[in-house]
Amino acid sequence: MPTLDDERFEAYLKQFRPLVPDPLPAVEPNRGARRKFVLGAWVAAAVAIVVLGALTFRIRTNRARVTENVVNVGNPGHLQDRQPLTMRGANALMAKAPSFKAMVDGMAFRSQAVPLPKGRRSAVAVLGKEKIKL
Amino acid sequence: MQRTDGNTAEIELLYRQHGPALLLFAQAVTGERARAQDAVQQVFLKLLEKGSLGQVADKKAYLFTCVRNAALNDSKRRDRNAPLDPDSAWFSPPNRDYAGEQNLRRALEILPSEQRQVMVLHIWGELTFLQISDLLDLSSNTVASRYRYALAKLRDSMFAKENSCANS
Repeated sequence: MPTLDDERFEAYLKQFRPLVPDPLPAVEPNRGARRKFVLGAWVAAAVAIVVLGALTFRIRTNRARVTENVVNVGNPGHLQDRQPLTMRGANALMAKAPSFKAMVDGMAFRSQAVPLPKGRRSAVAVLGKEKIKL
Repeated sequence: MQRTDGNTAEIELLYRQHGPALLLFAQAVTGERARAQDAVQQVFLKLLEKGSLGQVADKKAYLFTCVRNAALNDSKRRDRNAPLDPDSAWFSPPNRDYAGEQNLRRALEILPSEQRQVMVLHIWGELTFLQISDLLDLSSNTVASRYRYALAKLRDSMFAKENSCANS
């Protein structure tokens, strides 16, 4: 067989066609869409947890209120009077209370959360500081 | 298979158009059809997952670069100097010239890897010397030189064998 020049040899080589590769295997639809779905699921789960937490907290708060109300059922006036105990209030309680126990209870369960107005002092605080000699 | 959008169709078209040359090139790098097939499919599956070729200007050259990187990474993991598989065909021969195909394959196998890659890229990949120089990170002169050497060696090798067969 005679030796071919470059161009003819190249043309001869090009007659040999490379083999066709195997078809591409099936791939999952779209990993991006799948990621979005997974992310969405996580977000939904997080929202559900927050909502459940809020609901649980609300239910517990309501229960605490109900319990407080039940405890104070015997003393309805106490519910309305949310003011801190003052000397004046203590005197009024002493005067109005049907019994000694009721008076002590009225003093003991007063809310101390609300700050006292200027010029007023808490009876409990005053009594607490007093040195009682028996 | 759910690949229906335009980008996916384009990638599949590129696979049909350039798949054979890419496979041959990967074979020239790895020396084994199965590994070459893996490298080519790995590249295209990544492209399909990504959904597009992005802002690539020269898509064909880009594909050859990706396949080369995949094949070289595969070779790094395995034996870098693995011999070429002598049994698997590389070409579909004209006029069922299977002896010619085997002759060509053996001649390619004898070539040094860098010359074989240039040869495959230019003849069957139909890349210009400039594209090949970008792909292999070489100067155009080096690429042209390697091609000339490869062509001469290939011709000598193929026709020396044919002549020796004819004489014996």
